[in-house]
Amino acid sequence: MSDTLGEGKLAVTSSPEGPSAAGVGARKAPSPARRVGRSGWGQRLEIALLAGPAMVIFITFVMLPVLLAAYYGFFKWKGFGPPTNFVGLQNYVTIFKDSTFHDALAHNAVIVVLSLLLQGPAAVLLALLLNQKMRGRSVVRVLIFVPYVVSEVIVGTGWSLMLQTNGAVNGLLVKAGLPHWTVDWLSDPKIAIWSLMLIITWKYIGFAVILFLAGLQGIPQELFEAAAIDGASYWQTQRRITLPLLGPTIRIWAFLSMIGALQLFDLVYIIWGQYVAATAGTSTMATYMVVNGRNAANYGFGNAVAVVLFVISLILALTYQRFVLRRDTEGALTEGKK
Amino acid sequence: MNGKKILVATAALTIGALALTACSGGSSSSGSSSAAAGGNVSMTFWHNSTTGEGKAYWEATVADFEAANPGVKITIQAIQNEDMDGKLQTALNSGSAPDIFMARGGGKLADVVKAGQAQEVKVDAATKTAVGDAAFSAFTVDGKIYGMPMSILPGGIYYSKDLFKQAGITGTPATIADLEADVQKLKDAKIAPIALGAKDAWPAAHWYYFFALRACSQATLDKATTDKKFGDACWTKAGDELAAFSKTNPFNNGFLTTSAQQGAGSSAGLLANHQAAMELMGAWDPGVIASLTPDQKPLADLGWFPFPAVDGGQGAAGAMMGGLDGFSCSKAAPPECSKFLNFAMQKKYQEGYATAFHTLPASKDAQSVVTEGALVDVLASYNKAPYVSLWLDTLYGQNVGNALNAGVVNLLAGQADSAAIVKSVVDAAAKE
Repeated sequence: MSDTLGEGKLAVTSSPEGPSAAGVGARKAPSPARRVGRSGWGQRLEIALLAGPAMVIFITFVMLPVLLAAYYGFFKWKGFGPPTNFVGLQNYVTIFKDSTFHDALAHNAVIVVLSLLLQGPAAVLLALLLNQKMRGRSVVRVLIFVPYVVSEVIVGTGWSLMLQTNGAVNGLLVKAGLPHWTVDWLSDPKIAIWSLMLIITWKYIGFAVILFLAGLQGIPQELFEAAAIDGASYWQTQRRITLPLLGPTIRIWAFLSMIGALQLFDLVYIIWGQYVAATAGTSTMATYMVVNGRNAANYGFGNAVAVVLFVISLILALTYQRFVLRRDTEGALTEGKK
Repeated sequence: MNGKKILVATAALTIGALALTACSGGSSSSGSSSAAAGGNVSMTFWHNSTTGEGKAYWEATVADFEAANPGVKITIQAIQNEDMDGKLQTALNSGSAPDIFMARGGGKLADVVKAGQAQEVKVDAATKTAVGDAAFSAFTVDGKIYGMPMSILPGGIYYSKDLFKQAGITGTPATIADLEADVQKLKDAKIAPIALGAKDAWPAAHWYYFFALRACSQATLDKATTDKKFGDACWTKAGDELAAFSKTNPFNNGFLTTSAQQGAGSSAGLLANHQAAMELMGAWDPGVIASLTPDQKPLADLGWFPFPAVDGGQGAAGAMMGGLDGFSCSKAAPPECSKFLNFAMQKKYQEGYATAFHTLPASKDAQSVVTEGALVDVLASYNKAPYVSLWLDTLYGQNVGNALNAGVVNLLAGQADSAAIVKSVVDAAAKE
């Protein structure tokens, strides 16, 4: 869900397609290989020049921090100077024994599942609707996409002000003659996670709708015409043609949504602040990391949490790619095992 | 062939990347404060007054210092208070620390000193006499002074005299039982009794700290500084008393999502706009409240009383708890850092500080400038107090303070008991 993290992940997952595409090209056309043989160093220089900047940035800002986090995670470290107190796997033992972390993990799982269940069907229906020719279609499309473009901080601040106990939502309910409907939207642990899901759905559904709309454009019109000639009803057409052909888009969207949900941080941190998220039942692994790593100045421990978060996301991502995205990203990660 | 080529390219780039990072690492450590011999000196200065009179005060004081010391240039950076700890830690780690930074003494400063990130502040004799040993003790590590206290900020309960009158309350509560009776009277008058910014956690933790100040002896508080064990029964007693007090629902509606200082909906804002009658805070509160009143002027009917007495505790009657706002010099700062801090301690600037921040100056020479009703009462209690403990989160350092914060929020939300607070501190020790 987090914009920056989500996009970073997108870059990482899409980069394997680069080499694989090159591999396909090499297999089909043998001539480039011969050229390499002729002017080896020139070719190498060219590659170094073209790939260099991206490689330097990737290694410095992605690989190096990941490796350093893994390194720091083996120490008890207050963050000043080089770490010296090596404790092996003890930080990891502490994490997996900590009930606050179990809670955060459970919240993450709930957010992953509910994001898919709430946003998926609604976004498909909205995309189908907005694919029809109707008046004001582009206005509605823009309106649905606007929340996604607005920064997380603004969204979080706005919703937290509205949903406060003395905020606008409860004020509206009282004025509308429904004072019994007023609740603690943010601090009641039974309700807070649903408030969060509401905000997440509102914020990110536009992204799903835009993806699905783009997917719908790619379905050949002839199929619908053929179905119409065969006498298929509207819903039959959607179920038998649109949904299966939209499959690749839906699977990619679900992947991005899951990774985003696992790394959710900004909305929770803005709305519930540094401490209340765990109490309200909306803490995530990322907020747990910040509270117990950065705020408590236990940087070694915080790095260990980062590694756990990374490994969980990685396992989920690889499993999903291996079993669900296999057909869509043929060759990306499954190439060797074919 | 193909694989080998990639390998070569990768290796070359990795070396390049390492060389790049090495270069940047080297240059940044020497970049922040270059004191050329006899030439110009430039320093960076972090404080937490992002708006209003406090910001203006620092700009004026720095300008005066620069005028009096040609060749010295101080770059000011005002940083929002809740961001200060994290940003400072990052800056200290990365070797780009500000030369002069805000510090509050206690365990937090001791951690910085132990890591060799702060340097001794050379305090001149006049300042030493004017401030007194008590305030310096919070900034002293192993016999050396590592910070200059600018203001003393003892805590207590601020209240609106008008709202008390409206609820028919005469006088201020001396015991917790009195306070509970007043809470009931305020509720009967449909006034939110106590504003609490629990979203920021530390204001909630203050309630626990004050119950602990009443329940625990000074020796117990001091002992926990070194052993970080909270086994004494008084820690549980304090938690039980806070739990019992919170059962009377004394806090504003939605206190868990109320922040402390930001905007009219914050706890200080509620008091400033007569939406709640009381708030437990440090002596910076009159200044914060003044910035949140509708006309941005000090709240006319603001009063103050010390935290009420609690039966059966081992804390001395009249003991106070509070903090000190001060400034330290980072390890690479030029000697002009100490010079600047001494400069700002002169009577004229301390008076300016107290006026701008609506607070109590650390220099006793400047105390006569305090005339706001609530602060006069704070000062009177402070000068009478048998001892003044530092805020416990400052005293015990960031890790324990963080755990106490989270534990107390859970207790007030009704999700944990007093044993859980002590347990959360023990759990935190495993992460340190």
